Amino acid sequence: MTASTAEILKLEPAPVTKPVSQWGLAWRRLRRHTLAMIGLVMLTVIVIACVAAPLLAPYDFEELDLRKPYAPVFTPGNPGQPVHILGTDALGRDIFSRLLSAGRISLLVALITTFLTVIVGSIIGALAGISGGWLDTLLMRFADLLLTLPTLPLLLVLSSSLRQFVALQNFLGSNLSVAIIIFVLLIFGWMGLSRLVRGSVLSLRGQDFISATRALGGSQSRIIFAHLIPNSLAPIIVAATLGFGGVIISESALSFLGFGVMPPTPTWGNMLNDARGAPLEHLFTQTLSPGLFIFLTVLAVNFLGDGLRDALDPRLKL
Amino acid sequence: MTTFIIRRLLQSVILLFFVSILIYIILNIVPGGPFDMLKLSNPRLGQSHIDRLNALLDLDKPLLPGQYCPKETGVQQPCRLDQGRYLRWLGKVVQGDLGQSWTLKPGSPVIELIWYRLGYTVLLMGISTFLAILLAVPIGIFSAVKQYSVADYAVTALAFFGQSMPTFWTGLMAIAVFSVALGWFPTGGVREAGAEGDIIEALGRIFSFGRLYPELAGKELSSILDGLKHVALPVMVLTYYNMAGWVRYTRTSMLEVLRQDYMRTARAKGLRERVVILKHGLRNALIPLITILALSIPGLFGGAIITETIFSWPGMGRLNIDAIAGVDWPVVQGLLVIQAFLLIFSNLLADVMYAVVDPRIQYN
Repeated sequence: MTASTAEILKLEPAPVTKPVSQWGLAWRRLRRHTLAMIGLVMLTVIVIACVAAPLLAPYDFEELDLRKPYAPVFTPGNPGQPVHILGTDALGRDIFSRLLSAGRISLLVALITTFLTVIVGSIIGALAGISGGWLDTLLMRFADLLLTLPTLPLLLVLSSSLRQFVALQNFLGSNLSVAIIIFVLLIFGWMGLSRLVRGSVLSLRGQDFISATRALGGSQSRIIFAHLIPNSLAPIIVAATLGFGGVIISESALSFLGFGVMPPTPTWGNMLNDARGAPLEHLFTQTLSPGLFIFLTVLAVNFLGDGLRDALDPRLKL
Repeated sequence: MTTFIIRRLLQSVILLFFVSILIYIILNIVPGGPFDMLKLSNPRLGQSHIDRLNALLDLDKPLLPGQYCPKETGVQQPCRLDQGRYLRWLGKVVQGDLGQSWTLKPGSPVIELIWYRLGYTVLLMGISTFLAILLAVPIGIFSAVKQYSVADYAVTALAFFGQSMPTFWTGLMAIAVFSVALGWFPTGGVREAGAEGDIIEALGRIFSFGRLYPELAGKELSSILDGLKHVALPVMVLTYYNMAGWVRYTRTSMLEVLRQDYMRTARAKGLRERVVILKHGLRNALIPLITILALSIPGLFGGAIITETIFSWPGMGRLNIDAIAGVDWPVVQGLLVIQAFLLIFSNLLADVMYAVVDPRIQYN
């Protein structure tokens, strides 16, 4: 039996889906990446633990007890005091508390350095990409020049030299070593990001929306900050995440060699340096914890960065 | 191709020139000189004595070409135009004279200090790089061919781990486990305490047909074995670290090659799978590895600062950090310039080798 056209054409209303932004899509893709989620959880736990160090830590990070050096794990504290979860170090300081406080410094240094590197690198890269011509060549050649310098020795040299400037000592006081290490890592860290942003800007430059902005009277800086950089965010985010891990390792390495954050301010690299001087039978336990924290943090960041790279990949349908 | 090489050579020389300027300026702007310690240890040393010592080392001349007004015994002498410390240093460097050490071995030519340490560094870095490539390439290929298998996941996980582990931690843990707990290897250094010679001297004696180091006659083998025992742990640490990166690199490269059409053609032609992978896939996957190999040359001579410090290995890396800690700027300058030189020219080598190995690439 034939039905009327109207009945046949009575279509069901299409299901209404909430529109998902490009970032929502990327987040969904990230959620499916198991390793990245593991990394994210690990990172969150570590960051929260370190930020809450004053609340979580059973001891103050400077509190000494010279009668109990190199105590093993789960040593009970003096009567009425909490247990030393990870034991004590050479001066009887509780390792667990020191780890949390050291984490604050290490994570803070890494965060500030990565943040500044992203800003400086993006601006320089965008400037180079959008100007072209001599400015582009000059900036990129300068970046090449800095890349040719052997990094670690110069980090050490700059770190030890800047420390000697009395003016800086007076200006920054006890934060001197932290400021120096941030500055020094920034100088040698912006190049990668600037190249990335420059590439992205070069490919965005020819697009119509840029010409439209220009036609509407947009200034150069508006084009850079409101259009070019936001559209380049995907590779910037991936590079920043992976760079965060790199900075943690660099800062620990510098502190380990004695050129980074100076004691008594604890940092994971510092604690490893102290562990080096431990008598041999305690070497394992002393080096295990600080290094483990560095390793877990960098691992988490690498997992996350890898997942972000796949999730934000512009070649897949976004 | 020849024009490309010549053009890149010229660019490299110019780049090296600018790098040397940067290095020299960074190291000479900071306060401090070779006689700071002298002033501290001998309070009777007055500023005029220090000035005279500095004048002997040309340290009172200006950095860049400019006016120079010497002050001899308080009497102002006529100012004259001086070429500046940088040009003077540069002139000596291109003739092969890297200056003299200030504090590590005062008065010794820098080249001598470097030459002494070179053997140890090349031994350490050579063995680790060689082992790392030997292990990373097959593992990476295997992991790529058997993608998504348990072995692949294990390899990728281990590679991730290796890239996230700081070498100083791995080194210290290796010492704690293999040296202290198990006692298999010594904790550091290059020779047994009290031994007559070490592995480099033994090898030197062998390669010079017995002319050098006569006191080691008959003890070469034991020195070499002793040296191998000492080099084992640092080599393990460095090899693992390098391997982690290279395994991932090889794996990614091999994965890309496996997707190519010519692989499918080779299989369709009926070739055995092994021939397909090794003859067609491997050759193409190894091309990027050449870049890696070439770029590891600066490391071969520059040493690993952190690993050498942990294991007390007397190499270039240790020299670097000792010189920086001891404020011995001529040594640091020499080392930095050598490393920059090696980096620039190994980059050039990598590009040239790339073009030689891959006929698809043509530089015009």
